[in-house]
Amino acid sequence: MKQEINGKKPILIRRFKSIRTSILLSYILVVLVSVAVFAMVALNYTEKTVLENAEEYSTQLINQVNSDIDSYMDYLRNTSILISSNADVHDYLFGNSGDAAQKEEQIERIITQFRTILDTRDDIVNIGIIGKDGKYIINQGLFHINENIELENVEWLQKALDNHGITAISSSHVQNVVAGRYEWVVTLSRGLQNKSTRDIEGVFFVDLNYSSISELCDAISFGNRGYIYILDEEGSVIYHPQQQLLYSGLKQEKIDEVLHAKERSFVTEDGKLYCVSKSSETGWTVVGVAYVSELLKNSGETTKIYVISAVLILLAALVLAVFLSREITKPIKVLSNSMREVEKGNFENIMLDVRGENEIDRLGASFNMMTTEIKHLMEQNVEDQRQKRKSELMALQAQINPHFLYNTLDSIIWMAEWGKNKEVVLMTSSLAKLLRQSISNQNELVRVEEEVEYTRSYLTIQKMRYKDKLEYDIQVVPEVMRYKVAKLILQPLVENAIYHGIKYKEGKGSVLIEGFIKDEELILRVTDDGIGMTENQLAHIFEKHETDMRRNSVGVLNVHERIQLYHGKEYGLTYKSSPGVGTEVEIHLPYEKGEQHEEEKMD
Amino acid sequence: MKRKKWISILLIFVLVSAIFFLVERDGKTKEKNVVMIVKIIDSTNDFWTSTIKGANMAAKEYGISLTVLGPDAETKYEEQGAMIQEAIAMKPDAIVLSPASYTETPEYAEKIEDAGIELILMDSVMEKEMGSCVVATDNVDAGKKMGNYIVENFSEDVNIGVVGHVQGSSTAIEREEGLRAGLGDLAENIVDTVFCDSDYRKAYKVTKEMLKAHPEINVIAGLNEYSSVGAARAVIALGLEDEVHMIGFDSSLKEVEFLESEVFEAIVVQKPLNMGYLAVENTVRILQKKDVPQYIDSGSVLITKETMYTPENQKLLFPI
Repeated sequence: MKQEINGKKPILIRRFKSIRTSILLSYILVVLVSVAVFAMVALNYTEKTVLENAEEYSTQLINQVNSDIDSYMDYLRNTSILISSNADVHDYLFGNSGDAAQKEEQIERIITQFRTILDTRDDIVNIGIIGKDGKYIINQGLFHINENIELENVEWLQKALDNHGITAISSSHVQNVVAGRYEWVVTLSRGLQNKSTRDIEGVFFVDLNYSSISELCDAISFGNRGYIYILDEEGSVIYHPQQQLLYSGLKQEKIDEVLHAKERSFVTEDGKLYCVSKSSETGWTVVGVAYVSELLKNSGETTKIYVISAVLILLAALVLAVFLSREITKPIKVLSNSMREVEKGNFENIMLDVRGENEIDRLGASFNMMTTEIKHLMEQNVEDQRQKRKSELMALQAQINPHFLYNTLDSIIWMAEWGKNKEVVLMTSSLAKLLRQSISNQNELVRVEEEVEYTRSYLTIQKMRYKDKLEYDIQVVPEVMRYKVAKLILQPLVENAIYHGIKYKEGKGSVLIEGFIKDEELILRVTDDGIGMTENQLAHIFEKHETDMRRNSVGVLNVHERIQLYHGKEYGLTYKSSPGVGTEVEIHLPYEKGEQHEEEKMD
Repeated sequence: MKRKKWISILLIFVLVSAIFFLVERDGKTKEKNVVMIVKIIDSTNDFWTSTIKGANMAAKEYGISLTVLGPDAETKYEEQGAMIQEAIAMKPDAIVLSPASYTETPEYAEKIEDAGIELILMDSVMEKEMGSCVVATDNVDAGKKMGNYIVENFSEDVNIGVVGHVQGSSTAIEREEGLRAGLGDLAENIVDTVFCDSDYRKAYKVTKEMLKAHPEINVIAGLNEYSSVGAARAVIALGLEDEVHMIGFDSSLKEVEFLESEVFEAIVVQKPLNMGYLAVENTVRILQKKDVPQYIDSGSVLITKETMYTPENQKLLFPI
C-alpha cells in the first residue's frame, strides 16, 4: 500500500482516504466544470445572439422610420415641384396684367389645387405661396399671414429664398407665419423664380404635421424604456421624447457621437444600444436607443432554464457518481477486506469470487493464488518447525546420561570383582536392553509396552545400584499396552523421581508406575514418596533449568513439549506435589478405540 | 460512508437553494408603485397636462408604475382629499401631491405620512411643513426675473402696478417677494397691488380700477395666467397698450398672442414638464434611499418676443 507506482505521487487521488471518494469527487468536479463551462459559453452565445438580433431588428425599424419619413418628404418635394411649375402660381405672384375676374379665377384654381392636396393628405397642415411683395395664398385662402411676424426673421422662408430653387427642409418648429395657428410642423419650402426677372421672388411652402413624425417614432417600441430620436443635418433635435429635458439640461443625448458614428450601431458604457440610420433624402439621422438590460431580460428566462438544467444534470451526475463509484470500488473493497483478514493471519473464507476479466478481477485471482500459496507455505513451515523440534528433542532424549552409564558400568565392575555373576548378568542385560532400545528404534511413536519395558530395565539397574533404598512397582493395565505414544516419555520422569525425590530422602523410597484409562484419556502416572516439592518449585517445573543441564538436561520440559508436539496441546504433564510427602506426575495421552485398531493394522 | 452521504446531501441542498435564489431574485425586482395627485386633470390645461406628461416620462424611464389622480377643477380641495384617501388605500410606495389648498389639504396629507407612505410635494407647499421633498418652481426666483427685467429695460421713472392672483397664497406671496427683490430700489415704485382670485373677469375689473385710480402706472406685472390675461384685456380695452408695459406670468395661447402683438413685453413661464419629471425622478431616488435635497427648483424662464421661437422656448410655449 505504501509503495508508490513509478515513485510519483498522484497528488489529487492520494488526498482522500478512499478511492471511492476520489472517483466521486473527481467525477463531480469534471461534470461541474464541464457543465459550468458549457452553460457559460451557451449563455454568452445567447446574450451575443440576442444583442445581435436586437441590433439587426432595431436597425430595420429605424430604417423603416427613415424610409417612411423619406416617402413623406418625397411626396412634399413632388408637390413643391408641381406647384412651382404651375403657370397660375407664377402669374398670380409675378404677373401684373389681367383683369380682376381673370385673377379671381386664377386664385380659385390655385386654391382648388391646395384643397385637393389638403383633402387627400391629413398629415399636411398648411400649404401656401408667399410673394415678396406681400401677395400670398394659404390653404383654402382663408388663412392669413401673422401680422406680428417679420418675414425676414422666418428662417425657413429665407432659406428657400436663398436656396435657388432647391427644396429646404426645416427642423421641427411652431409655424407662426400662419395667423392663429400655432402648429408644430416640419416645413418644406422652395423658392419660386420670376421668369421675367430670373430672380427668386416668391416661396412655396408645405407644412408636415409634426405629430405624424412623432407618432411614427412613438409607435415603435424598443422595449419599455427604449426610444427613437431624430437629428437634422446640423445636429439639431427634430424629435426626441425628452426634448424639453434636453433643452433644460436635465438630460444629455449623444449627438456628436451619433452624427460621426462610423458603425451603424454601438453600445455605450451605460448599457444603451444606439442604432443609427441616416437618410440621404432629408439628411436626417434617425437614432434608435434600446437598453441592453431590457433586451437581455428575455435572455434571463433562458439563463434560468440553463441554470436549472445544469443543476439537474449535476444532480443526475451526482447520483450516477455515487452509484458508479460504488460499483467500481466494490471489488477493491472486498479485496481490501480479505487482505485485512490475511494480515490478521486468518486464512478462512478469504477466497475471492473472481468472475470478470478486468484488472481488479485479475488482481483478485492473483490474490487467491498468493494467499493459497502463503497458507500452504505457512502450514509447511509449521510442520517443518514441528519436525525440526521433534528431532532435536528426540536427539536430546535419546542420549543416555553418561554419568548413569559410567555409574552402571562401575557397579558392574564392582559386582564382577565381588564375583556376583548373577547380578552382573542381570545388570548388564538390563543395560544392554536400555541401550538397544535407545539406539535401535527409529520410530518416534512406540507402544506403551515398550516404554514400560524400557523403564523397567532402567529401574532394574537403579534398584541394583541403590539396593534397599529404592522400591518400585509397575501396574499398567493391559488395554493400554498396545497404544502408541511418543517415545521416551516415561523413563525421564522416573529418573526425575529418583534423582530429585528419593535420592535426598532418608531411608527407603518407592516409585509407583501406573497406566490406565480415565475420562477418555490414557494416563501414565509416576508416583514417588520422595522429598516432594514446594509450591514454588512446582510452579517452575516446566522452566528451562540451564544449571541442571548435567542431570536433568532434557527432563520434564522436553517430555512435555514432545507430548504436545506429537499428540496436541491438550495433552502433556500434570504435577501434584507436597514437601515431605512425595510427587505425583501424570502423563495425559490421547485414547481412542478406533486409533488402537488402526495402529494395529499399521503395524 | 456516512460523511460522504452528508457531503452529497449538502451538495444537493446548495444546488437546490441556488435555483431558488435565482427564481427569488427575479421576483424581487418588482415595480415600485407611485401615485401622483395633481390639482386638476383637464386636457385643455397645458400646465397640468405637461406636468403629467413629464411625470409619465420619468415613470417610463425609471420603470415604475405611476397612477395619476386629480379633480376636474383646481378649487375642489375636498374632492382632492377624497382622492388622497383613495391613493392611501392603494398602498403605494410613495405619493406625489400637489396640494389644492394651503390651509385645508394638510388635514388629508397627514394621513399619507401616518400610513407610512413617502410624501413628495409638487408645485406648491402647505401651511404645515410636510413631505420628504418639494419639487416646485422657485417662485421667488421667477418673481426676481420679472423685477430684473423691469430694472434692465425701463427708465427709473417707472410706476408699477401688480396684479396678483390669490391674496395670501404662497405662490402670490413668493412671486411678489421675488419681484420686489428683483426690482431692488425700484421696489418703492410699486404703486398698487390688486388680486383677482384667479378669475379673468375680476382681473380685468381690478386692473381697470387700478389704472383709473393710478393713471401714473406705466408697468403692470401679472402674477399668474388669469391675472396677466385679464390685465392685458383691461389695458387693451383702455387703449393703453402702447403706454403701459406689461409682463405676464405663465403661458397660454392668449399670452403668446399678446406677446407676439407686443402687448406683453415679456412673460415668465414655468417648466411644468420638468416639474412632473423631477418630481417622479426624485421620488424614485427617495425610494432608493438616496439623498435628495429638500427643495428642488423645476425652473422658470423669461421669454420675450425675440426669444419666443428658440427651440427650448417653443417647447415651453407650445407644449404638445
